[in-house]
Amino acid sequence: MTTRPETTVSRRAFAVGAVSAAAGLTIGFRWASAQAPQGGPAVPPMIRANPQLDAWVRIAPDGRVTVMTGRVEIGQGMLTVMRQVAAEELDVAPDRLFLVSGDTALTPNEGTTAGSLAVKLGSTALGLACADARATLVGVAAAAWNVQAGQIKVEDGQMIGPAGQRMSYGDAAGSISLSRPVDVTARRKPASQQRIIGTSYPRVDIPAKVFGQQVFIHDLRPDGMLFGAIARPPAYAARLAAADLAAVKAMPGVVEVVRDGSFLGVVARREEQAQAAAIALARSAKWDAGAPLFGGKGIFDHMLTAADAETSVLHTAKGDAPAAAATRQAEYRRHFQAHASIGASCALAEWKDGRLTVWSHTQGPFPLRADLAKALKVPREAIRVIHAQGAGCYGHNGADDVALDAALLARAVPGRPVRVHWAHEEEMAWEPWGSAMITRLTAGVSATAGLTAWTHDVWSFPHSTRPGSGSGCDLRSAWYLADPVAPSKAAEIPLPTGGAARNAVPIYAVPNQAVTLHFLPTMPIRTSALRTLGGYFNAVSSEMFIDELAAMSGRDPLAFRLANIRDQRLEAVLRRAVEMSGWTPRVVVRRPIEPEMVGTGIGLSRYKNLESYVAVVAEVSVDTKSGAVRVLRLWSATDVGRAINPDGVINQVDGGMAQAASWTLQEAGRWDAGIMKAVDYASYPIQDFSATPLMSSVLIDRPEAPSLGAGEGSQAPAGAAIANAIYAATGRRVTEVPFTPERVLAALAT
Amino acid sequence: MASLNVNGRSVSVDADPGTLLVYVLRNDLALNGPKLGCGSGLCGACTVHVDDRAVRSCQTPLSALAPNARIVTLEGLGTPERPHPLQAAFIAEQAVQCGYCTNGMIMEGAALLAATPRPSEAQIRQQMNANLCRCGCQQRVVRAVQRAARGGV
Repeated sequence: MTTRPETTVSRRAFAVGAVSAAAGLTIGFRWASAQAPQGGPAVPPMIRANPQLDAWVRIAPDGRVTVMTGRVEIGQGMLTVMRQVAAEELDVAPDRLFLVSGDTALTPNEGTTAGSLAVKLGSTALGLACADARATLVGVAAAAWNVQAGQIKVEDGQMIGPAGQRMSYGDAAGSISLSRPVDVTARRKPASQQRIIGTSYPRVDIPAKVFGQQVFIHDLRPDGMLFGAIARPPAYAARLAAADLAAVKAMPGVVEVVRDGSFLGVVARREEQAQAAAIALARSAKWDAGAPLFGGKGIFDHMLTAADAETSVLHTAKGDAPAAAATRQAEYRRHFQAHASIGASCALAEWKDGRLTVWSHTQGPFPLRADLAKALKVPREAIRVIHAQGAGCYGHNGADDVALDAALLARAVPGRPVRVHWAHEEEMAWEPWGSAMITRLTAGVSATAGLTAWTHDVWSFPHSTRPGSGSGCDLRSAWYLADPVAPSKAAEIPLPTGGAARNAVPIYAVPNQAVTLHFLPTMPIRTSALRTLGGYFNAVSSEMFIDELAAMSGRDPLAFRLANIRDQRLEAVLRRAVEMSGWTPRVVVRRPIEPEMVGTGIGLSRYKNLESYVAVVAEVSVDTKSGAVRVLRLWSATDVGRAINPDGVINQVDGGMAQAASWTLQEAGRWDAGIMKAVDYASYPIQDFSATPLMSSVLIDRPEAPSLGAGEGSQAPAGAAIANAIYAATGRRVTEVPFTPERVLAALAT
Repeated sequence: MASLNVNGRSVSVDADPGTLLVYVLRNDLALNGPKLGCGSGLCGACTVHVDDRAVRSCQTPLSALAPNARIVTLEGLGTPERPHPLQAAFIAEQAVQCGYCTNGMIMEGAALLAATPRPSEAQIRQQMNANLCRCGCQQRVVRAVQRAARGGV
């Protein structure tokens, strides 16, 4: 057995050549004469950004159909969805499509694959472009045969006329050009005519993953590849005083030792040699310790007293309301939480003739390229970023950062590709974390259980500090260089989507509302997007509060919600989930402590107030001796409008619920004076089989409704349902996530 | 030089005896099945079979292997043409999200099925408990093992 002679890199290079040759076009084609049409129908945002039709689809004379998406696969089945959409609109068999994804030289620039927007934005644009291409090709045959376009059928790229005439897409492609703006008046198929969209088409990437084929960036092994590793400072604020590079360079296998300011790394022939050398280098180096994290204060103290907090009222509503018969206020807290991917971040980089190629599992190849250019001080045109799959990231983890690390190390060995695969502990310590948060809510309730007023205050660090988001460079090692490039100033994402304030606007009908953000832009522990951003904890807080208001009003949690919902789709998922669970109405009251207490709770959310509607019912058991909470069952109902791949949606819903159960019950960052210390699966445990509840999930199908984002819809309602089930079981509220045994015991003692 | 029996073939690799098996399989032998996960034996992504037992290759230096140890990776377990029943079941159940843990899930599950052809759900969850999936696919993984145990139906 030997190293396979044909690496993915060379195969990709071949594929790249094939695409360019097929189109007869060079890189940069999509910017030529690209003008969005003026007036007329609304232009989908991704078409506005990438108006040329051949940026999305190309037909070669041999009939090969290439579709291009700026979206990337992050383990959620998006490339299968894109294939379904393109195949549907083009009438080409899905497995015959050649799909190119996330390559700055070849695909449309769709920014970042995040925020549950791949289907909503990405597939909408691709579907429209493919519908336009199909109509154009059919037009060729219609003219040739002198028939109406509507008389022509298409079967797997073969056009068939009313008299049995046949013409392939490849034949028709020769007489037209797709190098023109997408016709945004092109009509997509109505749901009633769809045959691939709306079916659970099997994920195209699963067989390769099940048989150990080359799929992941970690599996790329171009000829001559070397391995890199970074010697990390002992604390985020530490800076390098001195290092003995020569001693490390003499270690086995070491090819280069790189120092640039406080950035320190090694390149070696073998992976384990690179890691051993990096550890030795980090230990032998002299570092100047920085200031202690949070000035040595507790995290929640720090958040409530930070001098740089930016307070702003983001949302208000005023209306007539009856007098409040009762009012309530509450405060909830959430600790820092991590992405904790099973596979740590990895990148492959190669410099050749002053040009850099980076293979990365980034969620945004174009934004990454922009920040790489800033850090490396080269024009972005000198850099090509090609997406290759990584382990699930669940938001902004180390994927982008490691790309700069690989580029910095590879620059020391031009012509040699360098792969850097962070250690798991390195990922946990150095990736951005999901922010700790504090929420304070107040509300008034009328004598007839109607909400009269609602305020929601949230204290939070930033939830989006991704590359490409500002004037600075948001790749970590850039901050440690001799000539550093500072990060961009962090900013809140405006509502309605929001970042820190995501889902802080109530989903219930309340006449008087206010949402206030206390934004903490300085990040002693760096924070960024963890799946749902602030949405999980804001919605969990709201749903915890709703159950407390229901109890205050002497109402069953279901009845109280129904009395305050005006959105029929929200009501429909709620009714469906409680029906599945066999909900028994009851008022939450303090109960005498028994050894084991079982309860059920509801969580309801509409992600971002814009995307999927999800209702969850949880059944939990509380061991009142140990304080341990066990989630026994989760039932969920989801409405995503048109589900392009129903099984794919269910997979996301269930996965999101399991992940949220883990966040809610067991995950919290811990740090010392300088750095995160919860860095492995012992100190930062995540859900295992014993902690994964039984789950039953259904979709409420709405084929005629637009598709809504589904990848982040279930976390908040699952967390809320678990919180409320503990509340229902015991009549006591645990207010700080995660609900560890210690916090549960403390609540039981009240 | 070290000699190994991997997926039924004898191979020799130029690596120190202290080198961890996961690096040899992935980097010297270009096998993609075993994944480097936590590197501490806590996640199971690197699992291979050594003499039919599920073993964490990130915790196994070459020097710990018996001279004629038979090492089987995901690639040796089955192929698209002749899949192991559990590989077929993972596809049938779509028991994957990102797929990084999949190697370990299949190798651990296949070892379980070899020893216990009809495991209960509790046995499956217990045996697989040290294999972590961050995407939250555990329920589908259990169903895939159950499907394979039923003969694929």
